[in-house]
Amino acid sequence: MTALKLLSAAILGVAISAPALAAGYPEKPVTVVVPFPAGGASDTTARVTTQKMQESLGQPIVVENKPGANGSLGAGQVAKAKPDGYTLIVGSIGVYAINPALYKSLPYDPTKDFDLLTVAVRTPNVLVANPSFPANNVQELVAYLKKNPEKVTFASSGAGSSDHLTAALFWQKTGTTGVHVPYKGGAPAITDLIGGHAEVSFQNLGAVSNHIKAGKLKLLAITSDKRNSAFPDTPTMKEAGVEGVEVYSWQAVAAPKGLPADVKGKLEQSLTAALNSPDVKGKFSDIGFEVVASTSGQFSEFLGQEINRWKNVVETGKITADQ
Amino acid sequence: MSYVLQKKDFWAGALYIALGAAAFWIGRDYPMGSSVRMGAGYFPAVLSVALVLIGFASVARSFFQEGEAVGAIAWKPLLLIVGATALFGVLLQTLGLAVALIVLVLVSAAASQHFRIELKASIGLVLLVAFCALVFVKGLGVPLPLLGSWFGE
Amino acid sequence: METLSNLWLGLETALSFWNLVYCMIGVFLGTAIGVLPGLGPVATIAMLLPVTFGLPPVSALIMLAGIYYGAQYGGSTTAILVNLPGESSSVVTALDGYQMARQGKAGTALATAAIGSFFAGTVATILLAIFAPPLADLALRFGPAEYFSLMVLGLVASIVLAHGSLLHAFGMIILGLLLGLIGTDVNSGTTRFTFGLPQMADGIGFVVVAMGVFGIGEIIGNLENESTRTVMLKSVTGLMPTRDDLKRIAAPILRGTALGSMLGILPGGGAMLASFAAYTLEKKVSKTPERFGKGAIEGVAGPESANNAGAQTSFIPMLTLGIPSNPVMALMIGAMIMQGIQPGPSVMTEQPVLFWGLIVSMWIGNLFLLVLNLPLIGLWVRMISVPYHFLYPAILVFCAIGVFSLNNATFDVYLMAIFGFLGYVFRKLDCEPAPMLLGFILGPMMEEHLRRAMLISKGDATVFLSRPISATMLILALVLLATVLAPVVRRKREEAFQEEG
Repeated sequence: MTALKLLSAAILGVAISAPALAAGYPEKPVTVVVPFPAGGASDTTARVTTQKMQESLGQPIVVENKPGANGSLGAGQVAKAKPDGYTLIVGSIGVYAINPALYKSLPYDPTKDFDLLTVAVRTPNVLVANPSFPANNVQELVAYLKKNPEKVTFASSGAGSSDHLTAALFWQKTGTTGVHVPYKGGAPAITDLIGGHAEVSFQNLGAVSNHIKAGKLKLLAITSDKRNSAFPDTPTMKEAGVEGVEVYSWQAVAAPKGLPADVKGKLEQSLTAALNSPDVKGKFSDIGFEVVASTSGQFSEFLGQEINRWKNVVETGKITADQ
Repeated sequence: MSYVLQKKDFWAGALYIALGAAAFWIGRDYPMGSSVRMGAGYFPAVLSVALVLIGFASVARSFFQEGEAVGAIAWKPLLLIVGATALFGVLLQTLGLAVALIVLVLVSAAASQHFRIELKASIGLVLLVAFCALVFVKGLGVPLPLLGSWFGE
Repeated sequence: METLSNLWLGLETALSFWNLVYCMIGVFLGTAIGVLPGLGPVATIAMLLPVTFGLPPVSALIMLAGIYYGAQYGGSTTAILVNLPGESSSVVTALDGYQMARQGKAGTALATAAIGSFFAGTVATILLAIFAPPLADLALRFGPAEYFSLMVLGLVASIVLAHGSLLHAFGMIILGLLLGLIGTDVNSGTTRFTFGLPQMADGIGFVVVAMGVFGIGEIIGNLENESTRTVMLKSVTGLMPTRDDLKRIAAPILRGTALGSMLGILPGGGAMLASFAAYTLEKKVSKTPERFGKGAIEGVAGPESANNAGAQTSFIPMLTLGIPSNPVMALMIGAMIMQGIQPGPSVMTEQPVLFWGLIVSMWIGNLFLLVLNLPLIGLWVRMISVPYHFLYPAILVFCAIGVFSLNNATFDVYLMAIFGFLGYVFRKLDCEPAPMLLGFILGPMMEEHLRRAMLISKGDATVFLSRPISATMLILALVLLATVLAPVVRRKREEAFQEEG
C-alpha cells in the first residue's frame, strides 16, 4: 500500500510536509466539526477559539461545517469518530441539552458519547418587544398576557430552539400563555419583531443589542443572574419578579468518548489558555459573549442540570418537534 | 391502445399520478391542523391531490389529442452517467478522491461513442485530478479525503 | 451634501491601494471559483471566508463583496455555456443563454450579461448610497402576509417561464412545490418526506436539484443524439453584441435594473425573485414571445441585470438593519462579527469608513468584473469548443465535487445522481424543469409565510386583502394569470367554433 500511497502523492503533486515536532499529539491538523452553517454563533465561537489554539498546539485546526437536523447530524458523526483528539466538536446548548430533551431518537447521546471538554462561552437571552407594544416592563407584560390569553405573538428562531423553550419556561413560571410564532433562524424573527409583525421575543443579547440601542426594540428584562454592564438599567428576570427564568445560550467543546488522558489534558490546557487570552476575550465581549472556560467536570455537572431542566419544560409544555 | 402507450403525455401523466399518490400516502399521517394553526399535513395533502388531478388530465389528453411519442430510451448513457456519479460517492469515502475521480471520468466517458483510451486523454485526466486536488482540497480546504479509508488514512 | 461628503469618504477608502488590490483579488477569486459548475456564491464565500480573517475589517468586507458578485457572475457564465445554473437566480439565464450558446452566440450572451450586470450594478450602487435608510424602512413593511402574496405572484409568473404545454407547467410547478416541502417544517418542527434520513432533515439543496436535473440531465440528453449532434456548437459568430443587439437589450436592461433593485431590498427572498420576474416581464412585453426559450437575447439581458441589481440592493437591509436577506448576507454578517463589528443600524453612524468604503468598492468591483470578463469571453468560448466527449466528464467532475462541498456530504452526490435520472425522464416527456425549480424555491417560503400570517392574524384570512401591499400583489397575480390563460381559452373557443362551423 505504501507504494500506492507514494504514487498517488506523486500524481497529486502534493508534498506531505509536517513540521517536525516532538513526538506526541498533535502530529497532524485537527478537525473541529461545527454542526451548523458557517457564520452562526457556533461557527464564530469555533473560529475565534481555534485561531488562538493553533499557536499553542503548533498544528493547523480546520473548521468543518456539517449542518443538518438542528446540529444532530454533525454531532452524530463526531460521536462515531475515532477518539484520537483529531476530531472535536463545537456545539450549542441545542446540540448538547435541548435536542436530547426534545427528540426521541438522536444519533448521539451527549452524556455518553462525548468526552466533554469545556463550556467556552455563554450569552444571556433578553426579553424584547416591538416599541409600540403596550407593556413596558415584565409585570405589565404578565398582566397584559393574563388579560389577553393566547393572543400575544412570541417570535422564536424555530420550533424547539432555545428562545422557543425560554418563552415556554416564562409562560410556565408566570402562569400565562401566548402564541408561539417560529421562524427559520433568529434573523427573520428579529426582522418581523422590528417591523411590528410579531410582538415579543426572547433573543440572544448579542443578536439584538444594537437594535435596542437604536430604539428599534424595547428591552424588558435580561435572563442572566446579574445585570449587564451594557444595559445597567435593565432588571434581571428575578429582579422583575419572575423566578427560575435564568437562561443562557452557551457554546461548548467536546470530543468523541475515550480520549487518551494526555491528549485530553493537552486539549484542555490549550482551550483554557486560548479562551482566557485577552484578545479572544475581547473579541467575544464585542459580540455579547462571556467567556466561561469551565473545567470538564463542571461541564458534565452543568450539562446534567440543563438536560433535566429542559426535559421538564418540554414535558410540562407538551412541546413536540418531531413525530 | 398501443399508440396511446407511446405518447409523452400519457407517461408524464402517469409520473404525476405516481409521485402525487406516493406523496399523499407518505404524508397521510401528518397533522392537518386548523385554519389558524395549519398543520404540517395541510400543504402536502392539497399539493399531492392537485398533482394527481393534473396527472389524470394529462393521461386523458393523450387519448384525445395528437401527441409525440416518447421514443427510444438512451439506456447506455443513462446508466453510465448516473452510475458513475453514484460510484463517485461510494469510492470517495473508501478509496479517496484520486481513485474516485478517475473512475468517475472513465465510466462516464465510456458513454460516448468517441471513447477510447489514448495518451492525450490520459494526460488530461491526470491533470484534471491534480487540479481538483490542488484547488479544492489544498486551496479551498474542502474536506475531501485524497486517499480513502482503505489506505489506512 | 452629506451624501457627497460620505461618498468622498467612501472613495478615499475604496481607492486606497490595498483595498483596490483586495477588491480585485476578491472579484478574481469569485469569478474563478464561481465558473466551476456547482460552486455558487454561497459555497464560494463559505470556503473563502477564513482567508479574510487576517485582513482589516474594511478590506475583508470589500474582498468578500468582490467574491460575491464575482461568483454570481461566474455562475451566469456556466449557466450560459453549459446549462449549469449554480444558484437560483441563474436558472432563467440558462433558459435563453444556453440556447444562444448552442446557436454559436455564446460570446454575445456573455457580453450581454457582463454589460447588463455592470449597468445594473452602477444604478443599484447609486440607489444604495442615496436611499439606503428609507428603503430599509420599506423592507420592514413586508410582513408574512405581504411575503405570501409576493410568492403567489412569483408562482403565477413562473408559469410564463414554460414555453411548452401549460398543463405540464402546472404539473411541474406543483411537483417542485412538493419537493420543496421535504425536510423539517418550520412551523411545527415535523420532518416531512425525509424517509427517516437525517441528511434530508434540512431539505434538499437547490444546487443538488439544479445540477442533477439541468446538468446531468443535459449530458445524458446530449449523448442520446451524439451521432447527429457531434458538433455541439455552430461556428461562433462574433463575440461582441452587434449594434442591433445593443438596441434590443437597452430596454430590458433598464427594466431589469428597476425590478431587481426593488425586489433585492426585501429580506424574505425578494432577491431571488428578481431575475425571473424580469424574465416574465420581458416575455410579456415582447412582441415576439415565441422567441423566448429559443435564444432570445432579451431573456439574458433582463434577468442578468435584475440579478445583479438585486445582489447590490440586498446589502441594504444587511448594512442598515443588520438583517441578512439571503445566505450570502448571513455569511457577511458572520464575517463582520468575526472582525468584531456588531452588524445593525449603528454600522452606518459608528463605522462610516466601512459603510461608505464598501458601497463605493461595490461600484469599483463591478468595473473590475467588466474589465476582467470581457477579455475572458474569448477564452470561455474556446473552452466550450473542446469536443463534447472531453468536456462532459470534466463537467461531471466539477458538479460532483461542487455538490459534495455544499454540506461536505456524499449523500448529496447520490441525490444529484437521482435527480440526474429524473432530469432525463423529464426531458423525454417534455416536462420543463425550470418551472419545477421555481416551485421548489417558492414552495417552502410560501407555506411558511401563509401559515405564519394565519397564526399572527388568529386565522383571519382577510389580512391578505386588507393590507394594501398584499392586496396589490394578489391583484397583479390575478391579472397575470388571466393574461396567461386568455390565449389558451380563446384558442379552445376558436377550435370549438371551427368544429361547429
